[in-house]
Amino acid sequence: MTMVKQFFKNFFLVELLKGLRVTGGQLISKKITVQYPDEKTPKSPRFRGLHALRRYANGEERCIACKLCEAVCPALAITIDSTEREDGTRRTTRYDVDLFKCIYCGFCEEACPVDSIVLTDIHEFHFEEKGMNVIDKVKLLEIGDKYERDIASARHKDAPYR
Amino acid sequence: MATIEIDGKSLEVENGTMIIKAADEAGIYIPRFCYHEKLSIAANCRMCMVDIEKAPKPMPACATPVADGMKISTLSERAVEAQKGTMEFLLINHPLDCPICDQGGECPLQDQALGYGKDVSRFTEKKRVVEDKDIGPLIATAMTRCIHCTRCVRFGQEVAGIMEMGGTGRGEHMEITTFLGGSIDSEVSGNMIDLCPVGALTSKPYRYSARSWELQNHDAVSPHDCVGANLHIQTLRNEVKRIVPRDNSAVNECWISDRDRFGYEAVNSPERLTQPMLKSGDHWEVTDWKTAFSKVVQGLQTEINSAGPEGVAALISPLATNEEGYLFQKLLRSMDCDNIDHRLRQVDFLADSQQNLYSGAELPLEKLSTISSVLLVGSNIRKEQPLLGLKLRAASLGGSKIYAINSLDYHFNFKLDGALIVEPSTVPAALAGVALDVSRIVGTDLPEQFSAWAQLGGNRDVYSDIAEVLVADSAESLIILGDSCRQHPHYSVILAISNWIREVCGVKRIDLHEANGVGLTQNGCVPKNSENNALNLVSNPRSAYLLYGLDCVEDSIYGNVLEDSLKKANFVVSFSAFKSESMNHADVVLPITPYTECSGHFTNVEGMTQRSNAAALPRGEARPGWKVLRVLANQLSLSGFDFVDLNDVNSEMENTISEKPFEYPHDIEITLPDKHNGQDSNKLFHRIMDVPIYRVDPLVRRATALQKTADNSIRPIAGLNVEQAREFTLRDGTLMNVVTPEGNGISIQVQADNRVPVNCIYIPAGYIETAPLGVATHLTLEEV
Ligand code: SF4
Ligand code: SF4
Ligand code: SF4
Ligand code: FES
Repeated sequence: MTMVKQFFKNFFLVELLKGLRVTGGQLISKKITVQYPDEKTPKSPRFRGLHALRRYANGEERCIACKLCEAVCPALAITIDSTEREDGTRRTTRYDVDLFKCIYCGFCEEACPVDSIVLTDIHEFHFEEKGMNVIDKVKLLEIGDKYERDIASARHKDAPYR
Repeated sequence: MATIEIDGKSLEVENGTMIIKAADEAGIYIPRFCYHEKLSIAANCRMCMVDIEKAPKPMPACATPVADGMKISTLSERAVEAQKGTMEFLLINHPLDCPICDQGGECPLQDQALGYGKDVSRFTEKKRVVEDKDIGPLIATAMTRCIHCTRCVRFGQEVAGIMEMGGTGRGEHMEITTFLGGSIDSEVSGNMIDLCPVGALTSKPYRYSARSWELQNHDAVSPHDCVGANLHIQTLRNEVKRIVPRDNSAVNECWISDRDRFGYEAVNSPERLTQPMLKSGDHWEVTDWKTAFSKVVQGLQTEINSAGPEGVAALISPLATNEEGYLFQKLLRSMDCDNIDHRLRQVDFLADSQQNLYSGAELPLEKLSTISSVLLVGSNIRKEQPLLGLKLRAASLGGSKIYAINSLDYHFNFKLDGALIVEPSTVPAALAGVALDVSRIVGTDLPEQFSAWAQLGGNRDVYSDIAEVLVADSAESLIILGDSCRQHPHYSVILAISNWIREVCGVKRIDLHEANGVGLTQNGCVPKNSENNALNLVSNPRSAYLLYGLDCVEDSIYGNVLEDSLKKANFVVSFSAFKSESMNHADVVLPITPYTECSGHFTNVEGMTQRSNAAALPRGEARPGWKVLRVLANQLSLSGFDFVDLNDVNSEMENTISEKPFEYPHDIEITLPDKHNGQDSNKLFHRIMDVPIYRVDPLVRRATALQKTADNSIRPIAGLNVEQAREFTLRDGTLMNVVTPEGNGISIQVQADNRVPVNCIYIPAGYIETAPLGVATHLTLEEV
């Protein structure tokens, strides 16, 4: 009996038609493919991408060279040199992040007492030359300046859950 | 003995011990801020509260002596509650700026806040703010962080001996400050940085340059004086960031001098030599080691062929390690040359006729703080050997009697029971005066040659005072010969007289050395034939000179003569870590490393040999001196230089070092005193000379912060007796011409100086500016 059932199933291509129903359904349903890079999927405000150093509204860099991010970094990706600036404040003279070493864990951001180092939601970056994987303080501050609004709004959105 | 119980552990302790000490010894932790083992008890932080059975309230462990049967709990609810309460109060006014505080990571307040602090502050009122003070180039302040433990105040008062910090105001308005807002000028002030349990006092040169947790520790020994203080050199990415003390109760306890602490700045200075260099015409050309060595070999061989090995002279800085000294002299002696010396601040070498004459200390340095009487001869011990100064202060507080025979009335950090301030030429006479009184007391005749000196010393009451005190408890008495003795034209007389005194009545003696002088003497950096002493090598020009680690003008008291001889020489090699004036006279410069980058041993005045480790890799092409010497010897095809590492050098040294390092001269030929030609002409002044604390060696002269301290002046300043300055109608800072009998002169700022006796003028050595005066003992003074 089972054999007969099986025979008819095979003969009328039931399995195939079942499969084709899904295909047909997809054919006429609304598509979710995004036209990357013209279109993008949404990201969580907690997304951990490229690093940035932030400034205060008055333009002063936030970082006070406490080196807590350097100490907490599990990948030893951060290198900082510090000194006393002419105005007597504690500042970095060098702030390098090695993006090859970094594992994007976000610990540096957690450790920072002044919300200076942050991980932005930028994840589309590439290097064309050897050595460009180490980004320095100037670059980090530039990124911070450029995306400050996004960075601030992401922190704002996440604030209630922290 | 009392039997007590702390946290259920029963202990036997000495009666009268404070609970905190008993607990420390038993390894039980009690939190504290103001208590420090080496300071008196203030009990003002209240952090060390413990619960004592039957006591109505918690008691401070640092100020409560044990009693038999006491049951103490450091962990009971009442104790912990009290500790937590104290912490909350301490944090009320603390700024909590750990992220920018240099103490962060090594801060007792931070650590204890973790254990005893609350996570939220209940204090919502305004925190007090205290203005920062500028207290000099060495210590940075952030007085808002101060918790008023008064450790710094007590350190100044008790240990350093000048009370520079104090508390003003009370309660909320209390502030720790220097008196009248002045700077801190103590030569051991850096210790306050270590003592301060918070970040109120931190190191200025180190400020904000690293974090304590990322520094690497290296065990080293200070080369700056003959004490051999133990150090931790701390580095970050191969750069020396700071130096802190390493405890050693036999040497430096937990203190170090500012010279030890801040001298490292020189090794990071732009004046470091990092490439071998050759002189071509009137400029320098950078070269590689191979070329430099072949040039040296060629030059030396030419000079030896024409003038014989006697034509080569080698002078080494007393800062060199034993290994460097040993190899340097071995290299010379392998070439049949005995012309080697490190004593560039000594002029009288008569005592050399005795072998192994160099005494060090006849008692362990530790004992200095309990000695019963001391006679200082020609020594500003406080600035020459700051750590020994501290020990003498401790002795003085303990009731010992301290006398001094000096040419300058130095300000010591201990009380003098009597001081003889005489012109420099009379110092041996004054010592002979003491010897005369000693001979009266013990009933031995004073040898005739000493009597001739004693007559010059005149008749003074203080001689018999000193003699009586020295003889009374002679086993516990000490004569200390300082730097001015070593520089004295009659050093051998001073040695002989002090020697006679110690033989007839058994007092001990310490003959203070420069830096590693003892180690270098033991390892052969003195000529076997006394004729070849430093002064002779310098004043009878040789055809080739090897200079090791010297800035020749500043590092010698006859630097002027040395400079002339270098100009006349055909071939000069300078082994140096720094660019300097003396480079100008050299033909080849070989870059060696300072002690922070060179392992080796130093021997202190007590004869204790300690190893110092390199803390960083050599800068550029510079190499540790012992390696350079070893390769140079190979290049010169000398045998016996096949050392692979430092241990090889060391084991060879141990076999060669003389059995009895210290022996004492018995019958030195005693020169009779000069006729005092100064007295007739009232225009002729006795020159008083010393080398100021921050001019003594190439390292401190390049340590920028030390150079800015009050103990140092960038340009030398002469001092004239106050009365005589008035006769000259001299205003402070007037320029005057000072001329030696030979006619060499300089103009120098002169000021009235209350330390200077009549008919004397104080002119420091260690400066290029004063070098033309050389070792002239008498000078004329003219208005410009
Ligand atoms: S994200 Fe993590 S790995 Fe990357 S720099 Fe920060 S702490 Fe280091
Ligand atoms: S980025 Fe933040 S954590 Fe890192 S050094 Fe600067 S202030 Fe400190
Ligand atoms: S400055 Fe430091 S050592 Fe001095 S009282 Fe304040 S906290 Fe104590
Ligand atoms: S340590 Fe006892 S009161 Fe400060």
